Amino acid sequence: MATPGNNNPDCWSVPDVYNHHEQKKVCISRPKYREGRKARAVKVYTINLESCYLMVQGVPAIGVMTELIQLCALYGTVEEYRPLDEYPAEQFTEVYLVKFQKITSARAAKRHMDEKSFYGGVLHVCYVPEYETVEDTRLKLRDRKSYVMRAAMRSGIIYETTSSSSISTSDRINPGHSENTGGPSSVSSYSGFPLLPLPPQEHHFSRRENQHGVAPTEDKMGTLHNAFIEAKQQGAPSPEHTSSNRDRHTEHTGTKASACRFVPRTTHLENRKRKIEESDEVAVSVQKQPLIGPKLPEPSRVDMEDESLNTTVSLIRNTMKQVESVPECKPVAKKVKPRRRI
Amino acid sequence: QVGSSESSDRFEYLQTLVTEFQDTDSDEAKEQVLANLANFAYDPKNLEFLRQLQVPDLFLDMLTEEQENLVEFGMGGLCNLSADPDCRDAILQSGGIELITSRLSSPREETVLSAITTLMNLVTPATRPRITDPSILHCMLRFSLSESPRLRNLSAVFLQDVCSEEQLDRARSQMAGRHSAVGIPLPRD
Repeated sequence: MATPGNNNPDCWSVPDVYNHHEQKKVCISRPKYREGRKARAVKVYTINLESCYLMVQGVPAIGVMTELIQLCALYGTVEEYRPLDEYPAEQFTEVYLVKFQKITSARAAKRHMDEKSFYGGVLHVCYVPEYETVEDTRLKLRDRKSYVMRAAMRSGIIYETTSSSSISTSDRINPGHSENTGGPSSVSSYSGFPLLPLPPQEHHFSRRENQHGVAPTEDKMGTLHNAFIEAKQQGAPSPEHTSSNRDRHTEHTGTKASACRFVPRTTHLENRKRKIEESDEVAVSVQKQPLIGPKLPEPSRVDMEDESLNTTVSLIRNTMKQVESVPECKPVAKKVKPRRRI
Repeated sequence: QVGSSESSDRFEYLQTLVTEFQDTDSDEAKEQVLANLANFAYDPKNLEFLRQLQVPDLFLDMLTEEQENLVEFGMGGLCNLSADPDCRDAILQSGGIELITSRLSSPREETVLSAITTLMNLVTPATRPRITDPSILHCMLRFSLSESPRLRNLSAVFLQDVCSEEQLDRARSQMAGRHSAVGIPLPRD
């Protein structure tokens, strides 16, 4: 699937080394006021350069693939990964291709992993959009455009308040909505559901209503947390990545609600992300209220092409999430392994 | 309110950048500032300010520069801006379509990719006929045969999403008749 050149059946050819894989020289001649926190090269990023495909170079060849993917999974659901054995690598290092489900996850992973040491090596992480399919490219552009359109519709004031950590429900409606559309707006994604859930338990039925009720009011009696997870699940795009989802779940329960809005790539991403995570919990809980702003297509929602099937899917997912979250309150975040290898 | 003071700081900062860009004699500084502005254009929060500062025109100006770096960064900036409706209109009012189209023959792949994405962003009911002009479609058809997966994918998206089947068929047959694709250069790097 992730072959560069999908029109090209020659899958055995050595992958090309493109200019954008290179680590550009850091610029040292900037005046003080234009100096960022981190030394950077002179380079312009566009949506064309970004991708949910990352290439990780400089991984020590000591059998740490699992550890690498676990590290990647901290930043979002990893859909596929494989070693790029054919890619020219430095001696005693390996090169990996990692596909994240969301571009925002890839962005976060690149930001945090690039130039970081890893088992004695220094990673170089770059976007590799040449591994995209035409459809990947189309979706990427569409997400970017709808994100910018949404931001344009939103007033500046609402935009500002979304990044504050205090929570007022009405302002959060839009961000909550944008999370649900699964555009480029979520930093991490809760995709899918456990394949082997525990049997359903009775008291979960009452909570289901949170998802389907018109105006969920689950912010009392400690049910907010569950309601939040449910809402996530409903909007989650693809159900197949069980383990990683659980991983995400365990990692973020409680505090992490994923940055639901598109997070600007620029300087204070980290800070913003944290704030958004805090505020997002409520944003999601109010997303069933009438929305202010444009209605957007919801491409990433799993569509069974039938209203009742869709309802069933979300009910089941919902219940499974409930069931899963009850017995293991703090499951260990270490279920990354059984991932599909490409 | 915190938000308003933050945004006025932001505006001032961007204004400082624009001023430095206009005043500096150093090519290096020019490039750096241009890259800064183009990257700021990625964040929708800055778009209104950038538009007020007429940065869309600044980027368009760069398309006729000789230095490929300036062209690439300017086009990157346009690519980042153009998803926003107001910025799109500003680009259109300044005759952006022709300027951008003229750079489809740039030797730099990054410039060409930005140009294609920008053109797609500029499509409105009013501009569609100009953006689906046969000469542009010929370029895209040529790109769709390129060795580069990124160029191939992006031109495929353009051909599939922007123009109609009939337009595509017509462009194809025109190309087959005249072998004009051979004359359309592909980016070298």
